[in-house]
Amino acid sequence: MQIVAQNLTYIYSEKSKGLAVRAIDGVTVTINEGDFFGIIGHTGSGKSTFVQHLNGLIKVGKDKGGLTVGEYDLSDKKCDFKGLRAKVGMVFQYPEHQLFAETVFDDVAFGLKNYGKDLSEEQISSAVRSALEIVGLDYDSVKEKSPFELSGGQKRRVAIAGVIVTKPEVLVLDEPVAGLDPRGKTEFIDLLHRLHKTFVKTIIIVSHDMNLVCENCNRIGVFSEGKLVKEGSPKEIFSSLDQIKELKLSLPVTAFLTEVLKEKGVNADNDFTEDGFVDAVVSAYMERKRGDK
Amino acid sequence: MKDVSFGQYYPATSFAHKMDARIKILIIIAYIVAVFLVQPFHFLGFLACLVFVIVSTIVAKVPFMRVLKSIKGILFFIVLSAVLQIFFNANGKVLLSWSFITITDQGLLNAGFLIARITLVVLGASLLTLTTSPVEIADGLESLMTPLKWIKFPVHEFALIMSIALRFIPTLLDETDRIIKAQKARGADFESGNIFKRIRALIPVLIPLLIGSFRRADELADAMDARCYAGSKKRTKYKKQTLTFRDVIGVLFIAGLIVGIVFLNKFYLFLVI
Repeated sequence: MQIVAQNLTYIYSEKSKGLAVRAIDGVTVTINEGDFFGIIGHTGSGKSTFVQHLNGLIKVGKDKGGLTVGEYDLSDKKCDFKGLRAKVGMVFQYPEHQLFAETVFDDVAFGLKNYGKDLSEEQISSAVRSALEIVGLDYDSVKEKSPFELSGGQKRRVAIAGVIVTKPEVLVLDEPVAGLDPRGKTEFIDLLHRLHKTFVKTIIIVSHDMNLVCENCNRIGVFSEGKLVKEGSPKEIFSSLDQIKELKLSLPVTAFLTEVLKEKGVNADNDFTEDGFVDAVVSAYMERKRGDK
Repeated sequence: MKDVSFGQYYPATSFAHKMDARIKILIIIAYIVAVFLVQPFHFLGFLACLVFVIVSTIVAKVPFMRVLKSIKGILFFIVLSAVLQIFFNANGKVLLSWSFITITDQGLLNAGFLIARITLVVLGASLLTLTTSPVEIADGLESLMTPLKWIKFPVHEFALIMSIALRFIPTLLDETDRIIKAQKARGADFESGNIFKRIRALIPVLIPLLIGSFRRADELADAMDARCYAGSKKRTKYKKQTLTFRDVIGVLFIAGLIVGIVFLNKFYLFLVI
């Protein structure tokens, strides 16, 4: 499903004039099927407001631009939001805080039962099983447990299983790695790539972690004061050092080191992925060695 | 979720805002007593109370709409009790009778009386919370309850519980908003179905909210412990409350209202006739 936003605007407390805040302001962007799209920006830049539009949690106001997700037109009041939400999964910051059911099984099945009223018991349990297996939990040992007796990392996996159980084509994640330890983070990113190879066609991730975004996304959008100020590949985004500083963002390690090397007179131009950086440094080193000889 | 307007502090600098919270609490208690002192059908008494509310609102520099809005929250309650009075009060002259419903003149008068009473009480009470910040109210109550220490009532702890509860209202509203969104994203439906269905739909919101509150309570307790909080012993206040001429004027005003109402109760017939 392709996502197209046309001049999308959202204003908080529009009616009370003194308090009105333009959370997003004329955002125009196309996110293609297959994209691993990163959204970065300073706190309060409108990232979360934008992504909450994508499954209709925040409705597109009258004369506030257009937004389509696949065949769904979200600026249409008669849009089938329930159908849309089954297709666009959304994982919030600290998703484990939304757990509520008595057993892991019930919690994961919650979304499924909301969307498909006529599913049989077998269909539900096989969907729950595959969702739990994708996130790396053993179905038989956790299904009867209370979600509250699991560890923090496991809770988060259960919460994510509860979102992907409906097999959404688009997965939106708002600060998904906040509060995870380094290993948990790596495992989580692996999980995202695993999902991206299955039914999840498009991943949209909001993050403050420049390394994560730079390494994993094929396209990045930069928000500032409600506007989408820049959009492109990681290479394009992180090449203009001054602009990144101006937007109160930081550079990913690869881009930073490339910059440092450049100042030292070493040209190791690369695409800012870890592999690309290492290759460029190695070949620059080899070249210099050859030159010395 | 965002428009819980009842009792929200309205920041301003006014005569009423500068009054001592303790005196304001006492005045409002006295005012509520005054409203209940007004005997049935003494409409002059209600008029006096209304004048009190209007004058206080002007003195507090609070927009009238803000004060009136406080009724919105309990409108259902007011209408319900009035309807019950109208339909089920069988005393007095019958005006209309239809199967089991009889409407009498007494019933109508009682309903009017009830509406006036509840509305006036709520308007007055909302003036207190509009002009006094939650922290001031908690401090004021703590100070007023000091005598209870003699019977070993944990006054300071009680005030602490209150101010913590007040402090966390906005946090909980935020959290509720977030959880509702998360469950909506999983297809939860809060807007359709009958009342039982809707109440059931709230379970996935209430349970995470409850668990979150326990988590917060734990964290807060740890944070207080880490800063060596040890209860009421020898704690000083950041803002000391002091009585000023404003408080004297306020007390005189409310005293005037009560004396007036008692006077009306005794001599109402003389005045009207």
